[in-house]
Amino acid sequence: MIAALVPYNTLVVAAAVAAVGLAAGMVGALAVLRRRALAGDAAAHGSLAGVATAFLATGRRDLGWLLVGGLVTSLATLAALVAIRRWTRTRDDAAMALVLGVSFGAGVALVTGITARGLPDSAGLEQFLLGHTAGVTAGDAALLAVCALGAAGLVTLGLKELTLVAFDEAFAAAAGWPVGLVDLGLVGLIAVMVVVGLPAAGAVLVTALLVIPPVAARQWTDRVGTMVLLAGLFGTLSALVGVVGSALVPRLPTGPVVVLAAAALAAVSAVAAPGRGWWSRRAAARRALVAWREGDLLASLARGDRPPAGADGALRRALADGLVARGAGGFTLTAAGTARAADLARRREAWARILATAPDDARAFLTVDLPDPAAVIDGARLAEIRSAAERCR
Amino acid sequence: MDGAGGDAMAPVVEFHDVTVAYAGRPVLWHVDLVIRGPALYGIVGPNGAGKSTLLKAALGLVPLAGGRVTFDGGALADSRARVGYVPQRETVDWGFPVNVMDVVLMGTYGRLGWFRRPGRRERDVAGECLRRVGLADLAGRQIGRLSGGQQQRVFLARALAQEAVIYLLDEPMAGVDAGSQELIFGVLDSLRAAGRLVIVVHHDLRSAAGWFDGVALVDMRVVAAGPTAAVLTAENLRRTYAGQPAVLEELARAVAAGGRTP
Repeated sequence: MIAALVPYNTLVVAAAVAAVGLAAGMVGALAVLRRRALAGDAAAHGSLAGVATAFLATGRRDLGWLLVGGLVTSLATLAALVAIRRWTRTRDDAAMALVLGVSFGAGVALVTGITARGLPDSAGLEQFLLGHTAGVTAGDAALLAVCALGAAGLVTLGLKELTLVAFDEAFAAAAGWPVGLVDLGLVGLIAVMVVVGLPAAGAVLVTALLVIPPVAARQWTDRVGTMVLLAGLFGTLSALVGVVGSALVPRLPTGPVVVLAAAALAAVSAVAAPGRGWWSRRAAARRALVAWREGDLLASLARGDRPPAGADGALRRALADGLVARGAGGFTLTAAGTARAADLARRREAWARILATAPDDARAFLTVDLPDPAAVIDGARLAEIRSAAERCR
Repeated sequence: MDGAGGDAMAPVVEFHDVTVAYAGRPVLWHVDLVIRGPALYGIVGPNGAGKSTLLKAALGLVPLAGGRVTFDGGALADSRARVGYVPQRETVDWGFPVNVMDVVLMGTYGRLGWFRRPGRRERDVAGECLRRVGLADLAGRQIGRLSGGQQQRVFLARALAQEAVIYLLDEPMAGVDAGSQELIFGVLDSLRAAGRLVIVVHHDLRSAAGWFDGVALVDMRVVAAGPTAAVLTAENLRRTYAGQPAVLEELARAVAAGGRTP
């Protein structure tokens, strides 16, 4: 049914770009974990000069050759970065600015020079700047899809090794893993994905396709495997939104739409993800604060004091929960309230002991809502702390 | 040493005239040191003395300006599977998306080789290692949500999972609570009892005197090395910590106190 409404070419291109988004997210996840996000940026800006040079050399717009050209100058840009770092005393950020500026400047000069002269078949070369999938043929799409799926497959195959090196380089090297080789593989994959992503996102924005989906994915999970998968999924979604946007609105470049879609996913993730998300952390902080105020209130009532200043909210909640009753002489604790206050006093006492004998554990696990130590510290460790406290007495 | 002299596989690490330099300045300078197992051996010295560099030099993580290091008489490349390593805790990002079990499993990667994923046997080994360091209940927890002592024990469990014969540990007691320190030393002691060679970069002389059966005092070169009691003398400490009189005085007291505890 869809095929009846959408041209065949658009469907094929959409499928290919989806594959590119998938692979970019997966490769990007490892790149971000290995802190190589900026390598992607340098590779992307360096690719343009190669695309233009390949066009001049072959004299036609054959996507395969253009991408090979892009890959060559991408890798050359990365090599220049490594060389500057190794043989000069230039700092990393300055080296990055230098390499990025020079390689991108050369690329833009070549592309605008070619299109301004109106060389035959040169129209559309500037689409590599911002990406424009509407001009991609079915044959080109197949090439993109094969490269992307190959990269995704390599990431899956080497996930164990890439994770090990990203997590603990020194341990990996000490255990005999060739860290340099693994890194070279990762940087190679980054360069390939940058180049394959050019038609979809363009040289300026393709890094975003590598970096933003992993950042969004990280919010939802604490496992590398899941993160890689989610980043691939987010990449796919963003790329598809870009293709559809570019197909619906004439002359709208794909890159900005892809990036905006990915950014929207990242924003939603940063706000709404359970655990790491802003909303979830704020709610947890609020719960802790509410519990803290309630404990404060119950403690002062248990001592026979008046409710502390600013405890109105806590007082209202405690009344509603049946922990506090309004009597003739003011507020008093109910039986449930007395029990809760005693419970909290016990916990405070327990944490004070832990803080005295094992400050390290207290720093790691104590929150103002006074959780039961047994709920946050594992049993064996807690028994250890208790017996240490016994010995101190 | 202990009557097992005929055992060809008794572990030994030898530093022959090792010099390491950063930007032309020596960090280690003509270091000669032979450490024979089974033993629990301490590398002790002031801050910046090159203790960690000594381990990194042995593991080929920093280039040697001169000299060589041998494991069981041969090159490190021939002994990789026999060597386990515990880096300093600050060297990794503890916000990394892996849980405790994932990290311990990394110890089994060396035996698995390229592209093979850990399976049932590896999980069993890792679980047993976690039990030995008292973290069996925390296998599924993200590593950032652990205390400093627990993080260090995760690293120790990962090294145990390497099932090595020679263990090199870089400051495993730094930022670690007393309970964890006791537990870690207990595990290291059991490794020694099982015939392993355990080499520990360590800063606290009090516990050094209590646990190590051999010690090397290092300050760019080896000031003294040998059985703990013979090495940790007032004279040797004065030579190692020269220029730090306040430290010295405290150390002398610490050693005097530590020497009496078992």
